[in-house]
Amino acid sequence: MNMLVSGGALLLASVAFFASDLVTFRTNLVTNTSIQAQIIGSNSVSPLIFNDAKSAEITLSALRASQHITYAGIYSASGDFLAGYWRDHASQPPHLPPLDTVKSELVNFGNGEFSLARAIVFQGKEVGFVLIRSDLGAVNDRLRSYGIILLTILGASLVAALTLSRISQSSISKPILALADTAKLVSQQKDYSVRIPVPPDRDEVAVLVDEFNEMLTEIQNRDTALQAREEEFRTLANSIHQMAWMGDPEGNLTWYNQRWYDYTGTTPEQMAGWGWQQVHDSQKLLEVLSKWREALAKGEIFEMIFPLRGADGNFRQFLTRAVPIRDAQGQVVRWFGTNTDITEQLRSEENLRQTEKLAATGRLAASIAHEINNPLESVTNLIYLARKQPANSERYLRLADDELDRIAQITKNTLGFYRDSASPAKVNISEILREVLFLYSRKIEFKRITLICDSGNEIEIVAYPGEIRQIFANLIANAIDALPEAGVLRIRASNACRWEIITERGVRITFLDNGTGILPSDRQKIFKPFYTTKKDTGTGLGLWLVHGLVEKHHGTLQVRSSVEPGKTWTAFSVFLPERALTN
Amino acid sequence: MIQNRQIPNVYPFPLFGDSKRNPEGVNSLEDNRGSAGFGKRVKIMVVDDESLIAETVVEILRDEGFDAISVSSGASAVELAKILRPAVVLSDVMMPGLNGIETGIKIREIVPNCKIILFSGQAATGNLLEDARRRGHSFDILAKPIKPEHLVNIIRAGLPSQ
Repeated sequence: MNMLVSGGALLLASVAFFASDLVTFRTNLVTNTSIQAQIIGSNSVSPLIFNDAKSAEITLSALRASQHITYAGIYSASGDFLAGYWRDHASQPPHLPPLDTVKSELVNFGNGEFSLARAIVFQGKEVGFVLIRSDLGAVNDRLRSYGIILLTILGASLVAALTLSRISQSSISKPILALADTAKLVSQQKDYSVRIPVPPDRDEVAVLVDEFNEMLTEIQNRDTALQAREEEFRTLANSIHQMAWMGDPEGNLTWYNQRWYDYTGTTPEQMAGWGWQQVHDSQKLLEVLSKWREALAKGEIFEMIFPLRGADGNFRQFLTRAVPIRDAQGQVVRWFGTNTDITEQLRSEENLRQTEKLAATGRLAASIAHEINNPLESVTNLIYLARKQPANSERYLRLADDELDRIAQITKNTLGFYRDSASPAKVNISEILREVLFLYSRKIEFKRITLICDSGNEIEIVAYPGEIRQIFANLIANAIDALPEAGVLRIRASNACRWEIITERGVRITFLDNGTGILPSDRQKIFKPFYTTKKDTGTGLGLWLVHGLVEKHHGTLQVRSSVEPGKTWTAFSVFLPERALTN
Repeated sequence: MIQNRQIPNVYPFPLFGDSKRNPEGVNSLEDNRGSAGFGKRVKIMVVDDESLIAETVVEILRDEGFDAISVSSGASAVELAKILRPAVVLSDVMMPGLNGIETGIKIREIVPNCKIILFSGQAATGNLLEDARRRGHSFDILAKPIKPEHLVNIIRAGLPSQ
């Protein structure tokens, strides 16, 4: 192909060159003939004038030197033949072509010859004509020699080209073809171990092949590293205690770790895409699906606790977290999720809650014992005195009676803590506050705390009364503990709206004390279990329990505090929605 | 709603209104008993923020021939101990301000051989007692309610017992 093109180009160039040369040659031929015609013309003036054919013939015979001139003739002004020259043999002289007076020369090509007619002018007057005919042998000779040259050049070029191409094929084409074949092999079979032999010559092709081989080595290294990383990831993913999985941006899960299959007793085929639904609790599935779709749509972290069925058919609770993984442009390219079994944790948290309830009960019992033992002490003494001093017995017994009333009041109030109703009921917030405060009245007096309680009479919500009592008791006990001697405790309960959702009605109860305050570093920790600042006396479960109970009522618990010296205070604010537990 | 009851440090009036109010606020029923005065009999100071308890115990002890007075706070008890130098102090533990244990420790500093008997309505005083023991002060404690006869016996025996 290459040879065809270069041969064609060479041919074209040669033909163009030869054509241009031929045209020049022909022009020169005409010019030379014209000059000869002029010379003959000027030498033929006198023979023409004297009609001397003999001397005209002598003049013409000089043309014998020009071997291509076949005929030359001199004609009179009227066109009559005077004298002629023939190269080969004399014959009938040809007629003079019609010459118009303006043109003094006429050139004609044809029949393998050309003719030139020219007027002979003497003293401004045409005295006759000269006609010269010449064969085109000179041109043909030249054409022939050109042809020979062209063929020689072409032949030589072709031979050279063939030789060169053979050489280039071995040194350029072959390595490049090998390169292409190898590239194809690599991309099809993903075999990065193949290498192209480097040509012996250290030319550009060798460098190219070298670079290509180096690139393959690099890719092979990366491929190996990638496989190792993949292997590491799988080992890690299979060794962690959690179940783990991956999904595409549309939420089709494409991979699970071994633990998932071990726990659920499923196969990859069953789990492909959205197959995970079959291990979910049908009661919870709709909620899971809607949350999962929402996370997919927003590209936000998914976090939820839901049960998953194990291979044994039993459900366990899992904390599930899925994180979107994004590319450099911020597009989600995949999801990575884990399921952590928190069944035991939930169980122990529940146990802890029960423990704290028991501990709270114990504390309450101790406090009640004190409340009851004091009036009992008085009653014991008064009865003793009544017996000893009959004269004053009436007064002693009346006082004893009052003390017994006090005991009855305490037991009545205390009972509320243990009426742990199983279902939510209408609860009067002010009433519960009063009952709880009554239980702490001695503690409040003991510390000479000024109590300012501002609560409307008819604030009612639907809630678990025992739990509301526990919330209040914990917050009030904390405030009393934090308060110094003669501090101030302000409690305010009022109908309110949720801060975040104005339309949601409920009740807000704020407990404000000017006690020691809570350090900012402690403010988050106080809701964690076992975190306490009361070294010996606290279990560290009170606020954790309160937080849990408030959440159970779909409420919110907020704490604000100041530790600025001289202006310390703490405010716990509980919002409980009016009818979150109605159904 | 709960009223913040202001409890006076020392009761200004005797429980039964048959004794005079004295300027120090010490309730003494001496004239009623026609005794020779506080100094002649065993002097007992009863400390409790519950007025009715303090008053009835004082009444019982006087009936038994002791020279008893009631005080409603630890701080008042310490102040009065400097003047009265009681032989026995019977004190509640959980009181506003100075608690019974702190009161006992302070009175022991003033009157080294004074018998301190604590009585309390709740078990939660264990920590306070343990704390005091670590600091080298041990006390015997009686649980409320305590039978008056038993209380008198303990004081009489001069040796507090459980």
